[in-house]
Amino acid sequence: MVFKELPPEVSKVASRLPDVVLEMERTAPYAAASLAGSRGLRISVNDREQVVTEVPPSQGLVLSAWNGSFFEESATSEVTAQQAFQLARSLTSRMQLAPTSTRLDSGPTLRQHFSTDCVRDPASLSTKEKLELCIDVLRRARKLDTRIVNVQVDYTETLESKVFANRNRLLSQGVQRMRFGVVIMVSDGQRMQYDWLGKDGTGGLELIEISDDELLKLCDNAIALLSAGRIPPGMYEVICSPDVSGVIAHEAFGHGVELDMFLKDRARSRQYLGKAIASPLVDILDDPSYPGGHGTYFFDDEGQLAAPTYIIRQGVFERGLSDHYSAHSLCMPHTANGRRESFERKIYVRMSNTFFGRGQTPVQSMLDSVEHGIYLQHTSSGMEDPKGWGMQVTSHYGEEIVNGKLTGKRFAPIGITGYVPDILHSVSMVGDDFLLSGGTCGKGHKEWVPVSSGGPHLRLKARLG
Amino acid sequence: MLQRIIEAVRREEGVHDWLARHIRKTSTQYYTIGSRAESRRSVQSEKVLVTVMNDHAASAGGQEQMRGQAQATILPADLADETSLQHKLNQAVFMAHLADNSPYGLPAPAEYPTVELADLTIQSRAKQVAEGLVQQLLAALEHEKDVRLSSAEAFVEETQIELQNSRGCHGEQTQTSLLLDWVLLAASSNDEMESHLAVERRRVSDVDVAGMVRRHAQYARDALLATAPRTGVFPVVVSDEALEELLMAEGHSPLIYRSSAQLKYQRMTPWEVGATIFTTSPSGDQFTLYSHALLPFGMRSAAFDAEGLATHRLPIVEKGLLSRFWAEQRYAEYLQVPATGTFGNMEIAAGTHPFSALLDDDATLYHIVAFSAMSPDPFTGDFVGEIRLGYELTAGRARPIRGGSISGNLFDVLARAQLSQETTFLGDYVGPRAMRFADVTVAGA
Repeated sequence: MVFKELPPEVSKVASRLPDVVLEMERTAPYAAASLAGSRGLRISVNDREQVVTEVPPSQGLVLSAWNGSFFEESATSEVTAQQAFQLARSLTSRMQLAPTSTRLDSGPTLRQHFSTDCVRDPASLSTKEKLELCIDVLRRARKLDTRIVNVQVDYTETLESKVFANRNRLLSQGVQRMRFGVVIMVSDGQRMQYDWLGKDGTGGLELIEISDDELLKLCDNAIALLSAGRIPPGMYEVICSPDVSGVIAHEAFGHGVELDMFLKDRARSRQYLGKAIASPLVDILDDPSYPGGHGTYFFDDEGQLAAPTYIIRQGVFERGLSDHYSAHSLCMPHTANGRRESFERKIYVRMSNTFFGRGQTPVQSMLDSVEHGIYLQHTSSGMEDPKGWGMQVTSHYGEEIVNGKLTGKRFAPIGITGYVPDILHSVSMVGDDFLLSGGTCGKGHKEWVPVSSGGPHLRLKARLG
Repeated sequence: MLQRIIEAVRREEGVHDWLARHIRKTSTQYYTIGSRAESRRSVQSEKVLVTVMNDHAASAGGQEQMRGQAQATILPADLADETSLQHKLNQAVFMAHLADNSPYGLPAPAEYPTVELADLTIQSRAKQVAEGLVQQLLAALEHEKDVRLSSAEAFVEETQIELQNSRGCHGEQTQTSLLLDWVLLAASSNDEMESHLAVERRRVSDVDVAGMVRRHAQYARDALLATAPRTGVFPVVVSDEALEELLMAEGHSPLIYRSSAQLKYQRMTPWEVGATIFTTSPSGDQFTLYSHALLPFGMRSAAFDAEGLATHRLPIVEKGLLSRFWAEQRYAEYLQVPATGTFGNMEIAAGTHPFSALLDDDATLYHIVAFSAMSPDPFTGDFVGEIRLGYELTAGRARPIRGGSISGNLFDVLARAQLSQETTFLGDYVGPRAMRFADVTVAGA
C-alpha cells in the first residue's frame, strides 16, 4: 500500500502498523494503531503586514489497547518502527486486564487509501501566486470606502494525513482543507466595527474565489454596523440564514446527541429517543462524507468509514452520534464520529458536517411572510448545554423585517437564547436553499477539530437580547 | 536536537536573523465516567520551532529594504536524514523572502527574572497527581447531598522550553500545568441539572478541590430550582469564574486587544496613551490594570516571551487612562515605544467595597456565577452571554435563575463598575472577586 501524503520515513512506519497491532493483541483483547499528521501553508496580508509561513505541522503515533473495560493509550512524536514496537510492549506490559473482559469488533477486512478530489489542485499555483491572489483581494477591498481602516485577508491550505490499523483494517487518507477569509474593519472616527466573509471546504482552489459583489456587500455591512443599536430584548419571529441555522443544529442540538454525553448522563436528549423533538418540517443530519464540506473525511480516527447519520427525521429524534467506546457501551449503532484533535489527545464523539435538511420554501417567500421580525445573518459564536438544553448562539448582527421587507436597520450583536425543543418545535418554514460554513469546534473549551454546519434558511421563534 | 538544528540554520543561505525554540512536553491524562476509569493516556512530544528572517528589496521595486519571516517546525522524523531538515529550512527562507514588511529586529540578550513556574509534586508524581485529583473530587462529593460526579478529566503536564536567537538570547524554563475538568450532576425526584468547571493551574496546591466541590454542588442543586430572569435593565454582579471569563475571554480579551501595540500599528484599536479607555464618563471605582508575567504560578507567567524578551509586571491602564501599549519587539520598534513582551496574566487592582455590599440592594439585582459562554467581541467590547446560573436578589432574598442573557459593552460597564475589595487568583487572573455593573440589559422571560 502506498501512503502518498506521508513523508518517506513515516510511510515506512505506517506499513508496520499491522504488526504493531498484533504485538499488542498478544495481551490486549483489541488494539489499534494510528498515525496522524498535518501540514500546510498560511498567508495573511493586511494594510501593514504580510505573513507567508507554514501551518504548524503535527506528526505522531498513537497506540490504543483495550483492556476489556477501557482504552489505555500511549502517544509520541517520535515516529519510528523501533519506537512503535517498544511503546507497544511497554503499554501492554503495564496494562491490567478487566476481570470481565469484553472484545471490540474490528469490522470487516479492508485495505484502502482515500484522498480528496481537487478541481484546481493547490499545488497548481506557486506560493508567490497565492500571495498575489491575497494581495489582489486586499487591494480590491481596500478601495471600496474611505471609512475602511484595515482589511485582513487570510489563506490557509492544510493537508491532513492519517493511517489507521487494527486486526482487519489498514486505511489511509489524505484530506485537503482550504480556508479563505476577508475581514473589513471600518471606523467613523468614533466607533469601530467589522464584518467578515469566509470560504472553505475540502477540495482545491475552486473553493476560495471571492467576487467584487461579495466584497462590496461585505463592506456595506461593516459600514452599516457603525450605526447598529442594541435590540430590545424579547421574543421575535426570526429568519435564520444558513450560517445561523447551522450553528443552531450544531451547538444547540448536535452536541447533546453525542453519545458520550449519554454515558455521562449529561444529555437531556436521551429521553427523546424515538420521539418528536422538533417540528415535522425538521431534519438534522451529520455527514462526514458530504462532498466538499470543511468537516469531511473518509474514515474517522477509529477506522470507521464515513456515512451520513439522520439525527432528526421529520421532527423525530432517530439516532445519536458515536465512537467505538460509546457505541459498544450503550449497544447503539457505531457511527463514524470518533475524532481526536491530534495524536496528543483522546478520541471523543465529535460532529463533522452538521446541518438542517433542505426544505421547499423559497427564501423570498419566507421573508415576505414576516410582519415584524429579525433576519439573523451571521453567527459569531455558540455554546452547548446538553443537560439544561438552553441555547446560546450569538449573531454578529441582525436586520429588522417589517411587512416582509428588510428595513436596513441593524442590531449588533444579538444573543439568541431559549429552550432547544421549544425553538425546534417553533420552526414554521424551511428554505429550499442550502449552504455549509466551515470552522473549528471544541468539546467544552478544548479539543478543536475542523467541522462545518449549515443548511437552509429557517423561520422560527426565539428570544433575542 | 536543538544545537544540530541551529548549526543547520546558521549554514542556510538567506537567513539574516533567526529564533529557535525547543519544546519538550510530557502529558499524563486520566478520564473517568463517574468513579469508573474511561481512559488513561501518556503522551510525549518534542519539536523545535525555527523562525527565520530574510531581508530583501521590496517586491514592488525601488531601494526600500524589507524583512519577511517564516516558521519551520522541525519534528523528530525530520532529523532522520539531513535532506528533510534542509528542505524545511529552504522552504522557510523562500517564504520569508516573499513577505514585504518594514524592517525590525529581535530582542537583545537580557537577564531573565526568576519566575516560579514548576511544581515539584507534578514533576515527580504526575500519574499519582492526575488520579489523586479525581479521588479528591469523589471524596468531597461524599458530603454533598443529591450530587454525584458525571465525569472528570485530569491532564498533568510538564513542558521544557529552551530558546535561542541570533542576537545571543538564551533562555530555559520548565513549567508544569494541570487541568481538572469536571461535571457534577444534582438530582431531584423528577429532574437532573449539572454544574461544569474547568480549572487550570500550574501547582497542585492552588486547586482547592473540596472548596470548589462545595460551591459547585450548591450551584447544581440551585440549577434544579432556577427559572428565567425578568426582562429589563438591572444592576448585575458578576463573580469568580464568570468574571474571569468576561474579562479574559480565553485570551481574546478586549482589554488585551485594545492595549496591543500590534493592533495599534494595524489601526485596529482606537486607544491612545494618556487617554481614557472608557466610552462614557467614569463614575465607578478607579480601574487599574497590569500585565503581570511574573505572577508566581500564573498560567500566563514566563521568564521570557516567545522571542526572548524578558518579562515584567507593568501597568497598562491606570485610573482609567491607558499608560502604555504592551509591545512585542517588532511592534515596539514600529511604534517607537518600549518593548514589554507579550501580555502576561491580567491583574486588576482591588476595589473598596466588601463583596457582600455589592450584593446589598433594596431593589432587584442579578448575581451571575456562570455563563454558558461569555466571549466579548475583542475589537468592539460588545458582549452578550446566556446565563447558565445566577441569582435574582431582592432585599436580601435570593432566587436562582438560568436562561436568558445579559448584554452590553465592556468599556461602558467598566466605566461604572464597583469592584470588590476581596481578590481572587484564577490561573491567568488576579484581582477583584466580583464586580457590580450598573444598568445592564437582561433578556429574560
